Amino acid sequence: MILNIFGFLLMAFSAMALGLLFIGIARKVVARVQKRIGPPFYQAYLDVFKLFTKNSITHGFIFDFGAIMAFGGMITTLFFVPVGPFVLYGMNGTLLLVIYLMAVAYLGMAMATVGSGNPLASVGISRALTQMLGYELPFIVVLLTLIYSSNTSSIIGIVQTQQSGFMNWNLINIPIGTAIAFVTLLGLMGKKPFDAPIAPSEIASGPVVEHGGKYLAFIMLQHAVSVVVKTALFVDLFLGGGNNIFIFIVKMLIVWLLVTLIGSIFPRFKVEEGVLFYWRWPLIAALLQAVIIIF
Amino acid sequence: MSLFYYTFIPIVIAFIAYFLNKKIKLSLAILNSVVFAYLFYQISRLYNQWNIPHETISYYMFDREIQLIFQLTPLSWLFIFMTTGAGLLIAIFTIKSQQEYVLRSSFHLNFAILIGSILGVVLAGDFLTLFIFWEIMTWSSFFLISSGEKKAAQKASYRYIILSTIGAYLMVTALFIIYNQIHTFGYNQVAAHLSGLPITESIILIIMLAIPFIIKAGVFPFHVWVNGAHSNAPKEFSPFLSGLMLKVGIYGVILLLYFVPLYNILKESVNYRGLPIFNYILAIFGCITVITGTILAIRQEDVKRLVAFSSISQMGYIIMALAISTPLGFTGGLLHLMNHMIFKTTIFLSIAAVIYRTKTTKMSEMGGLIFKMPVTFTAYLIAIIALAGIPPTNGFISKWVIYQALIDKGYIFLSVAAFFGSIGSFMYVFKPLSTIFLGQLKPEHENIKEVPFLMQLPMFVLMALILLFGILPGLQMNLINQISQLLNIQPVGFTLYSITGAFGKWNSLVIFSLFVGGFLLAFIIFISAKKSKQVGLMDTYTSGEYMDDPEAYHYAYQYFRPFDRVFDSFAARSLTVIYDTFAQNIVKLGNLFRKSIVTGNGQTYAFYMVLFIVILAFAGWII
Repeated sequence: MILNIFGFLLMAFSAMALGLLFIGIARKVVARVQKRIGPPFYQAYLDVFKLFTKNSITHGFIFDFGAIMAFGGMITTLFFVPVGPFVLYGMNGTLLLVIYLMAVAYLGMAMATVGSGNPLASVGISRALTQMLGYELPFIVVLLTLIYSSNTSSIIGIVQTQQSGFMNWNLINIPIGTAIAFVTLLGLMGKKPFDAPIAPSEIASGPVVEHGGKYLAFIMLQHAVSVVVKTALFVDLFLGGGNNIFIFIVKMLIVWLLVTLIGSIFPRFKVEEGVLFYWRWPLIAALLQAVIIIF
Repeated sequence: MSLFYYTFIPIVIAFIAYFLNKKIKLSLAILNSVVFAYLFYQISRLYNQWNIPHETISYYMFDREIQLIFQLTPLSWLFIFMTTGAGLLIAIFTIKSQQEYVLRSSFHLNFAILIGSILGVVLAGDFLTLFIFWEIMTWSSFFLISSGEKKAAQKASYRYIILSTIGAYLMVTALFIIYNQIHTFGYNQVAAHLSGLPITESIILIIMLAIPFIIKAGVFPFHVWVNGAHSNAPKEFSPFLSGLMLKVGIYGVILLLYFVPLYNILKESVNYRGLPIFNYILAIFGCITVITGTILAIRQEDVKRLVAFSSISQMGYIIMALAISTPLGFTGGLLHLMNHMIFKTTIFLSIAAVIYRTKTTKMSEMGGLIFKMPVTFTAYLIAIIALAGIPPTNGFISKWVIYQALIDKGYIFLSVAAFFGSIGSFMYVFKPLSTIFLGQLKPEHENIKEVPFLMQLPMFVLMALILLFGILPGLQMNLINQISQLLNIQPVGFTLYSITGAFGKWNSLVIFSLFVGGFLLAFIIFISAKKSKQVGLMDTYTSGEYMDDPEAYHYAYQYFRPFDRVFDSFAARSLTVIYDTFAQNIVKLGNLFRKSIVTGNGQTYAFYMVLFIVILAFAGWII
């Protein structure tokens, strides 16, 4: 019991630290792409600590509750994604669960931001939910294909089917699916060209427009954990997971850098264009792949 | 207590109380609650007494003996338990909420008759009994829908009764065809007779029997009555309509496919991937229902219409799961049926509470009610978390089982539809949350208070049920496995808090404890940081504009406009329009016929008479 609680805390805090590190690296990389020097890689840590010491304002209890729900939901999700060899709660049947657990965090965030009463936040949330319907469909089709072909819906099970070498990775087995999942990862992380929900130049960063002080720090922490969860999920499903935590983190970093690099060179899609884009080629390709594998 | 009394008591009490209500205000609502509570208590005592013998009540009509047969099975127990439970909660809700409603006497009269007739439908032991109570149910619900306060209620109830009548005609025709051949209405005898017939003939009869149930369940292409009826019915009846009336249609589908095992007959017809083509078509209809319901729900500006379309889409799940006929599919369908009843009743009751205070159903005319009605908000929030299928609520578990069943068989297109409905449901449930409860408070709603305790009570009970079944699904699985045994379906493995699916196991206790952990951690970090200062809702970032009108500062109208733009042409070509055009064309055809024959000219009529005599002459009658 004590050990469990200790493991819980250790994993939660190291995921936050890792995520913040990733965010710092991404800021540096984006700066270099844009021919700037950029902040130091540890800037994200400084930001979070600074924000926690600042005074902040709230717009009522739903604003507070939403922040807690967003962060708590993301932490819960973390424990169902194996990070390297660390599997705290090795429950079966978790792949579908992860998708829905992430929704808890989104719902919390959406409630908090809309609860602030700022219409810009509502516009952002409406865009985010719309876009979600876009990218989730091809992603889910790929996941279903994966479940069917590995004959298990547990992430650990899927990792185990890819052991013993590079050639067993799903990257090789299901190449189209991997590519589609990568494109949906861009949307899942709100990177360009799918950053309409947070478009700073149109709706003043949308959902986070009213967040300041510790609320912004919470959003940053939640974002950090979500980066870890999403990249780890991708590595687990397609890049063979990892027996060694360092190899695993390197794989995660490669995925994250690719996402960041691609995300820093594209212009932005309009909301419905983004949705239609996902429903056109990725969805058709994913369905084709599913039909080939299942029949 | 004899089974017959379960249907008899509410109907008789309803009439007594109707006349009593003329004297004493509200007596009817209270009497109804007491009667339903008594029935609920009696029914819960019936659990596990499946060996109660059949009951037969004979009476004579036109010198013929007609028998009403009643029987109790785990399946019918589930439905009578749900019916009286929901009836009880709604009756308690109406005690306060209907104080200013003019037609409340007739509302309660019809409501009690409806409950009695649903109990009759579900307890029926043969097709004739089922049909009689089925018609009572249709008519009492017709009166309930048409007693809505809006003008459109009449049109909506016409649409409902016309579709129901078509279904009833088909059913009664099929029953008489069968009765003519075997002279009995018994479930088993009918099934045995149908399996002896040629396959096409028996499938046509099965479809004729199934259509009234599919119409009541609101499945594509017969879903057109659902949205109008749900949105225009009295606000207290909508929860029952969505929570139970649709489910009675599902009961009929289960009855036909599994209880009267017509599935065995269908198996001999054309198969697709090991599934009879009839089932596959039903599943595809379910899948279309999910998609249409979702897309149309997202567009609505009227909150009751929105929830009505969401009911349509959720019924699609249940039909899809039942149609694929695997043990997991059956279990998932029944689980979702129970869970949908619980959370959809909660949603409609919370909406009814909001309408009770604000007197409007337009979402853009409300806003910021969370600080005025926190209990209603909490009920709505927990219910939508369940509807969107987010753990740790009951909605996730049933959806999880359905997904497992769909993937297990490799029905990839059905699964895509299921996921579309699920993720689309995030969008449409968030719209009322955001526009009614969150955002800016309207100045005219400044003095709104929370609803009275008697209206909160049902919401509290339902909230507790959502969480209870979300953590301990074994409670429901216990009954479902008994039903599976009865219907010769292989039971699904479960314990109190875990279910075994096709690709792994679900354990809600682990999830719940991790949720507690995650939220505790977040909460501790939150309170250990500096305390924040509370400011008003108008005190926000406005890009330097000066805002003083909360109404203009509330983002509510056409919330998902970019998404709706994609489906504008789809929504314009709705099925309702097609049906309406069809009806208009029939009227036109009739007019054409009438104009060419009934000309209003005396000579034409004289000509008809001569023609008539000539024809008779040719036929050799006169000469």
